[in-house]
Amino acid sequence: MKTLIQRWRTPLLLIAAALMAVAIVLPLWGMTLVSTQYPEGLRMVVYPGRITGDLGEINALNRYIGMTPISADFFVELRLLPIAFGAVAALILVSAFVKRRWAPLLPLLAMTTVAAYGLFSMRGRLYQFGHDLDPTAPISIDPFTPPMMGLNQIAQFASYTYFSWGTLLPLVAGLLIALVLWAGWSRPRVAHPHPALALAA
Amino acid sequence: MSRLASASTLLLAGLAACGGVTPEAPGQRPMATGDVQAAAAASYVKPGDLDDYYLFYSGGHSGQVFVAGVPSMRHIATIPVFAPYPGTGYGFDEESKAMLGEYTWGDVHHPALSKTAGNYDGRWLFVNDNGNNRIARIDLRDLKTKQIFGPIPNTMGNHGSSMVTENSEYALVATRFSVPMGSQYEPLENYATKFKGAVSGIRIDSATGTMSLGWQIMTPPFNWDLGATGKGASEDWAFWTSYNSERATGKLEANASQKDRDYVAVVNWRAAEAAAQAGRGSQIGGVTVIDPAQVPGVMFLLPCGKSPHGVDVDPSGEYVICSGKLQPTSTVFSFTKIQDAIARKAYSGQEDGIPVITYEEAMIMEVPVGLGPLHTQFDGKGYAYTSLYVESAIAKWKLPPYAAGVDPKSLVVDKIPVQFNVGHLVTAHGDTRNPKGDWLVAMNKMSKGRHLNVGPSIPESSQLIDIASGEKMKMVYESYTEPEPHFAQLVHRDVLTPIEFYPKGENRNPHAIWQPSDAKVTRNAARRTVEGNVYAIRSYFEPGRIQVMEGDTVILHITNAEQQRDEIHGFGLVAFDKNLVIDPGETKTLKFVARKSGVYPYYCTNFCSALHQEMQGYLEVVPRGRTMALYRGNDGEMSFERRAPETAARTADPHAGHAASPGAAH
Repeated sequence: MKTLIQRWRTPLLLIAAALMAVAIVLPLWGMTLVSTQYPEGLRMVVYPGRITGDLGEINALNRYIGMTPISADFFVELRLLPIAFGAVAALILVSAFVKRRWAPLLPLLAMTTVAAYGLFSMRGRLYQFGHDLDPTAPISIDPFTPPMMGLNQIAQFASYTYFSWGTLLPLVAGLLIALVLWAGWSRPRVAHPHPALALAA
Repeated sequence: MSRLASASTLLLAGLAACGGVTPEAPGQRPMATGDVQAAAAASYVKPGDLDDYYLFYSGGHSGQVFVAGVPSMRHIATIPVFAPYPGTGYGFDEESKAMLGEYTWGDVHHPALSKTAGNYDGRWLFVNDNGNNRIARIDLRDLKTKQIFGPIPNTMGNHGSSMVTENSEYALVATRFSVPMGSQYEPLENYATKFKGAVSGIRIDSATGTMSLGWQIMTPPFNWDLGATGKGASEDWAFWTSYNSERATGKLEANASQKDRDYVAVVNWRAAEAAAQAGRGSQIGGVTVIDPAQVPGVMFLLPCGKSPHGVDVDPSGEYVICSGKLQPTSTVFSFTKIQDAIARKAYSGQEDGIPVITYEEAMIMEVPVGLGPLHTQFDGKGYAYTSLYVESAIAKWKLPPYAAGVDPKSLVVDKIPVQFNVGHLVTAHGDTRNPKGDWLVAMNKMSKGRHLNVGPSIPESSQLIDIASGEKMKMVYESYTEPEPHFAQLVHRDVLTPIEFYPKGENRNPHAIWQPSDAKVTRNAARRTVEGNVYAIRSYFEPGRIQVMEGDTVILHITNAEQQRDEIHGFGLVAFDKNLVIDPGETKTLKFVARKSGVYPYYCTNFCSALHQEMQGYLEVVPRGRTMALYRGNDGEMSFERRAPETAARTADPHAGHAASPGAAH
């Protein structure tokens, strides 16, 4: 098994780099809001560097509860993500050609850092948007934190939040790197049986 | 028409008096319980479901167009065309005011959808104005009136209109009343010689739909009634019926009913177009007028049964059907035979130099459809449907080819009574080359209290008839419309693809604004004008306060910045008799003079949101001599407290905004 992974080390790391690079243009996370008067749903989809969907309408509605308007410009981290994803992809690429067993450790650490920062900041942002409500807003509601994934109900809206391909592909890339690392690290110290052992056999 | 109704009533009354008993009138076709259930199921569109067809009704002297769904017959919308309509703010903003001009009324009779290769293409709907001699174009992308063209020169009563040619080259129109050409005066004594009729081609720009004057053919002073365009082999031709070939004045009900036959005009519109382009006409009233006596081949006359009203061309384009309203037959002419007669010069006379084609040379059959036949529509399956005004029924009859020696009576296969006095009828895609053959709507002129009693001023009735499920027609449903539908177009919903709102990117208005921070009001003290760009969104106007000086001319360009279906905002200015209604993504201009000092609220008139009632502002009309606090020296840009831009981020620190707001907990 490990030998097989070792043999496929370079292709596996190239695939991981490609997944990371492709993730730059894929949606990371999304939210769909549904209510009686919006049966077709209002959507917000977050990409590295941009947010698409019915932002205008969502902001128009959020204004009533005094929520800060959602805009890609607001999130510094969103602007950093394409660079971070690109850097990780580049590191994986380098590690594919530096034939040292520790080489993939570097992109894996970088990736873990990006993921940890991303999730931490996301949690903070969700909290911030649900809590920093303008007290002069027409409608007062209790502060809330929308869940990162799953169903939730806010006033007349049922919300569904989910992670998308932009987070799933890096996850797969990370697993591939970990696999290569594992195969390389715990490889038998000796590639061929000791002559003595061979003789003994 | 009403004279016929009263004539038949008198006749019935007379018969009843003679016999001493009241004879049984042919009433509504009886419906068994099963029929009722089938009819209910066929016309029921459950909540949330869509109708299959758009029914574009002409609104008659309401000046508007009504949109209903078929089979439910539900009224969905009114498209204002020739008259102001506060419901959509039509006729209140500068753009629609400019289109209406000095007119406040029109008389819409015959809507015609644009066509490509003889089928509806879902681009435009053209409607005539019989009252003020105009024609309008409705864009089917947003179902709004985009152009009102006219008054058409030398035309009085634009009735035989609008007939759109096979590829929407022209909307063909005709004057109902003959008048002296070039808006000249002539005493009525000179009617037969100095008065002229006219049929005209209104050119349609193939890309934009914009109408312009094409050509006009001068005719003898008959009353041109209704028209039809050819199809297929006859596509270069058009047909109009006439009454009063007697050239009479005075009481036309008798004076214009003396001859046994009046005429159908047979017009080669391609030849008219070519003649106009070749300069073979004279300029009268701003249009190239062709005298058919001078340009042979442009126009011919075809005799037809007494005082014909409707003329219709079957889907193949071969059969021209004309119904004499004072003769109980529909006459079927063959286009091939007409062409053959013209080639052989088989003429029976002439009128002012226009050849009259020998009737027998062109006619195939006189079908005894019934009393008072008016209009004919088609199902694409070889049948024609003719409305019978006097008999108050629809006749279904077989189109040619006919076997030799066929009994004309046998051609009428069914007749269904309608309630009451049907005028026009429409079948699905009934005037195209490919009728759908499933539904027919009878547009009746009288409802005579079949509905809840609403007093003496009562609506018209329209009845939905199933023509698909059998040889016999089946009455399915009836509904009522405001006065007064004439012709209609019944078009499948798949043909139309209207927008849901105006996309921001398409708004070319230089005054459009999309951020409250772009709202601006500027006063020019020297010219005494105030001009503003106003922003409207749920649930406020920016600015919420506008200051002007008494006597100022105020011009407000209001943008509805919404990009959401049905988020329509109104701008009603209290006590000023002004109301704009602005669709999402649209910019409209309101102009008025602030004559009287005071404070006047403006508010959203079209319910928009939970805080719709709060969507308001104040117009301050400052008395002369007082200083306007919001301007420097009564001039320049008005200063006002701006609301935070909605879609832009507030600040990097979301707490900054809170600290500034009173009552912030931080």
